[in-house]
Amino acid sequence: MTVPTDQHNELKKDVTFSIFRFNPQVDSKPYFDDYTIPVERGITVLRALNYIKEHIDASISFRAFCQAGICGSCAMRINGLSQLACTAQVWEVLANSREEALIRIEPLRNLPLIKDLIVDMDPLVDKMKRYSNWVDSTMPEASMGKKEFLISEGEFLRYDKATDCILCASCVSECTILRANKAYVSPAVLLKSYRMNVDSRDAIHGQRLAELVKDNGVWDCTHCYRCQESCVKTIPIMDAIHGIREDAIELRGLKDTSGAKHAEAFMSDIEKKGKLIEATLPIRTNGVFWTVQNLLPMAVKMIMKRRTPPPPPLVKSAKGIKIFRGLFREMTEHVKQDHKSHKK
Amino acid sequence: MKPFDIVIVGGGGAGLYAAMEAMKTNPALNIAVLSKVYPNRSHTSAAQGGANAALGNKAKDDTVEMHIFDTIKGSDYLADQDAVDILCSEAPKIIRELENMGTPWSRLDDNTIAQRPFGGAGRPRCCYCADKTGHTILQTLYEQCLKKGVIFFNEYFALSLSVNGSRSRGLIAMNMKTGRIEAFPAKAVIFATGGYAKMYWNRSSNAAGNTGDGQAIAYRAGIPMKDMEFVQFHPTGLRKSGLLVTEGARGEGGYLINKDGERFMARYAKEKMELGPRDLVSRSLETEILEGRGFDSPAGKYLHLDLTHLGADLIKSRLPQIREMCMQFEGVDPIEEPIPVRPTAHYSMGGIDTDNFTRTVMEGVYAAGECASVSVHGANRLGGNSLLDILVFGRIAGHTAAEEVGKFASSTISEAELKEQTDAIRGSMDSSGHYERYGELREDLGQTLALNVGIFREASLLKKGIQDIAELKERFKKVRVFDSSDVFNTNLMQVLELKNMLDLAETVAAGASAREESRGSHTRVDFPVRDDAKWHKHTMATLVDGHLSLGEKPVTMGRYELQERIY
Amino acid sequence: MKRYAYYLSCINESMTKEVDRSIDLWQKDLGIELVKLHEGTCCGGSNLDYVSPKHFALVNARNIALAEKLGLDLIVSCNTCLMTIRSAKKKLDESPELKKEVNDLLKKEGLEYRGTSEVRHLLWVLIDDVGLDTIRQKVKVPLKNYRIAPFYGCHILRPSTVLGHDNPRDPSSLDQLIEALGGQTLPYNHKNRCCGFHTLLVAEQESLNVAAEALNEAMDLKADFIVTPCPLCHTSLDGYQEKALKHAGVARSIPVFHISEMVGLALGYNAKQLGIKRHIVS
Repeated sequence: MTVPTDQHNELKKDVTFSIFRFNPQVDSKPYFDDYTIPVERGITVLRALNYIKEHIDASISFRAFCQAGICGSCAMRINGLSQLACTAQVWEVLANSREEALIRIEPLRNLPLIKDLIVDMDPLVDKMKRYSNWVDSTMPEASMGKKEFLISEGEFLRYDKATDCILCASCVSECTILRANKAYVSPAVLLKSYRMNVDSRDAIHGQRLAELVKDNGVWDCTHCYRCQESCVKTIPIMDAIHGIREDAIELRGLKDTSGAKHAEAFMSDIEKKGKLIEATLPIRTNGVFWTVQNLLPMAVKMIMKRRTPPPPPLVKSAKGIKIFRGLFREMTEHVKQDHKSHKK
Repeated sequence: MKPFDIVIVGGGGAGLYAAMEAMKTNPALNIAVLSKVYPNRSHTSAAQGGANAALGNKAKDDTVEMHIFDTIKGSDYLADQDAVDILCSEAPKIIRELENMGTPWSRLDDNTIAQRPFGGAGRPRCCYCADKTGHTILQTLYEQCLKKGVIFFNEYFALSLSVNGSRSRGLIAMNMKTGRIEAFPAKAVIFATGGYAKMYWNRSSNAAGNTGDGQAIAYRAGIPMKDMEFVQFHPTGLRKSGLLVTEGARGEGGYLINKDGERFMARYAKEKMELGPRDLVSRSLETEILEGRGFDSPAGKYLHLDLTHLGADLIKSRLPQIREMCMQFEGVDPIEEPIPVRPTAHYSMGGIDTDNFTRTVMEGVYAAGECASVSVHGANRLGGNSLLDILVFGRIAGHTAAEEVGKFASSTISEAELKEQTDAIRGSMDSSGHYERYGELREDLGQTLALNVGIFREASLLKKGIQDIAELKERFKKVRVFDSSDVFNTNLMQVLELKNMLDLAETVAAGASAREESRGSHTRVDFPVRDDAKWHKHTMATLVDGHLSLGEKPVTMGRYELQERIY
Repeated sequence: MKRYAYYLSCINESMTKEVDRSIDLWQKDLGIELVKLHEGTCCGGSNLDYVSPKHFALVNARNIALAEKLGLDLIVSCNTCLMTIRSAKKKLDESPELKKEVNDLLKKEGLEYRGTSEVRHLLWVLIDDVGLDTIRQKVKVPLKNYRIAPFYGCHILRPSTVLGHDNPRDPSSLDQLIEALGGQTLPYNHKNRCCGFHTLLVAEQESLNVAAEALNEAMDLKADFIVTPCPLCHTSLDGYQEKALKHAGVARSIPVFHISEMVGLALGYNAKQLGIKRHIVS
């Protein structure tokens, strides 16, 4: 047991909070209001905002509830990074920024703005409904309550981390693809969908997956990892997204969607040559017609610059490919065995 | 606005379960849930430790009867024993029902729902999901509500009940997005708005919005409140922020240590030690601090919750959230160092008086969860019984309202009444003659409550408290609302929340002052003993002609006679 | 002479041949020798790990084992290859069962994955091993204060639990390289944003939008060119540039360079030698 270190360096410094303002009732466009207040070490951004609201400008509007990092209400962009205001320490935010004493506060991205730092959560809730983000129990309602399902530790661990999600929408705010296309499914919804899919009590796995592989779904993720990087609960969101893709390929086949075909091409190229046969990748992913329509002008330019990938026969295999292929195929057998025992 | 059959105010565990059960009982009903926050934000999410049920998974010899006794003893014999019967008997079924719906309960080696020891319990029966039980239950219920197509009115702030004699016509609420006051005519209204411990402001673990809105609305409509003086102080709130460190930390084996390095609970609860009931442990910590055995700091005096001997693996797997919290809010890693803690106002046993079926005295009005007092918790609530309470009585409320609603006539809320409400709100936003700062009033309220109506109470302090509250209510009449916008006026909302807290604070202080005994979480240094002859009864607080009128109600006894409460 | 094993990325063998070509030119000047692993195979990109996690582990354990056989660290010139192989390494290091399963197969080729070689990006080698001082000294043709927008690319930064070299929110290694070579690095907000490469075939419109945003900001900052350590980003920003900008209704252009070319230019080689003429955007 260690002796308590009671270092209360109640150091203070003046910090300027530059806060995004917009009231649709009176403003034609958004602007920033600056407030400079003394901040002690250990004070969170939320406490600073509350202070400003109480003592300087009561009209600043933001959501906040539990102040303890569990309800998810106070997510906002702090110096450009989407996170919870109640767990963001002012001094830590400053330590990670180039500006010595300035913190920029903005609402989350990718969701419609209501006022100041408040965005509309309904588009996210609507997506949760669309992708069936609930357990549709295999147990009929009339029989519920008598006996619990027996769930192993192994299964519990599959969805444990995913159930940490507090729907703060930081990942939604950071998502690259959502920024380009507001109809995209969203990282949080993919995470929740995965959590449902790996729960053995759920009955609509196939149905949910069918929705996820459609347009604007799981195959549209560009793996930029911004969601995972910003998750306030450090949930490995990309594991869930990859999990859904793995699941989709296993259940629905390698040729199901263009996303699946794209992934499958990697597998077969590596087995064959150890290298990607890039020339035919677009064709195998989307078909000849799409490729001709979309990539022909670019292909011509590439030919002129002698930049085209070699045609399939000319793709040089990796050295020693035969031995490698042997290993690769043996692993395929292993995986088949795994699946057989898994299905039991 | 189309008239509703049932309007549920509050989207936490109780409100959501009520909605689901009402829809199940009668799918033809027009039901809506109104909440001032998105339902998944509700304070149910902050509950960490678990929900009690005599499943018999961990302790094969556990029984519902044992759970009943523990609860009644825990309540210091103030709980209504027939209500406790219902709570504990329904428990196993409701936990399993939740599980069948997909709640991710932690598991034992035999894959059944895991259970752990908790304060005041004779057997380990607290079912949990790591240290995020409330969060996962709430998420599961919200997901199920989305699945069933429950109609939500999110970010609507409830203002008042529309009352017609002894009946309710429905609810009047403010649409936060537009600022408009809207009518929700309904045959039945179920309050599930959570507790009021936030009135202690900085000395509370509660969310900023746990301001007792439902209780205040019911109180102002003339519905009696029960046992308001019983406020539970949770022993282990983080020193700086007041945020909760779950009882589960002690359930997993944590120690409470004073500045002499002593595990002091040995002097207060020899057998149960750290796992005595909350009121006892809170008093023990407070005593240690008052008698000079606490640590000191600019943030106030505190004691240590030591988990260092539990090991990194256990802490990381069973208590990961509290570890995060300690590091984030206190700068302490519980794996390496003890956590600085002190008691914090956490739960309100008191609330809207209901019968065992969640009915209030007003026809068409029901209440469930922390905002209600059935009473199952009496003078002190056991850890793990609140999550259970909201589920069991949330369900009962939904079921009862759905069954009874057929008897009620439809009603409408008049334009005149809406206008009256709107004008009142507008009036309060008028700047002339208004200068009091709401932040100041709020802090003052919290301070006087913490000091004068806190863990250790005494006649002169309580009198001061009552006086202070009266003064604050006067000052409130001149409170200034600075934000004049209609869209999402959080300034206005916080002022209205403050009004609710002030209205309720009066009942808490008055009840505490009147009750001249010590029972459960209500400790009078001038009346240190439990006085069953004079005080084995519920305190009732009713607004009559604009004034608080204190009354009483007998406690329903059952199989367990009054006895001394020792742990 | 610092020696390293050098991983051959698929794209550098086919479309972006200029990357390896340029590195071949100047590596000795900076005292490094990259030994090409011709037996290496495709790392699986961002796809193999969910088509088959086991094959993914096998293939990349093998790639690293080839470097370990030579007793050298594995250096990579493509962000996704970097992130992918490092991810695989993390999984292998954390799971003795997986490591065993993979090694049982690898031993048939006389290989073993032991975890002794680090997997790093060429950029990191330049900054950490060669050092900015050495680079500054070796500069023959300083980059004349060219205004350069540093586009790091996602996979050299995120997830930080796998990469960990630069701070993903405010990376600095590429900026430092630019300045050491005599260029002027710009306050480029898109420095740590995405180029959209991985969904070009599956969600083309979105990817083009993403690329266009990156290009537009650089042009708004009046950058002379964009530089990137990843040939995939290069392909998106250069190869698809015209398509992306046309889609966004913008009629301007900006050259995009690989870091290997930028280094080569500063070390005195000319555009033709470096393969810069091979870019789509001149």
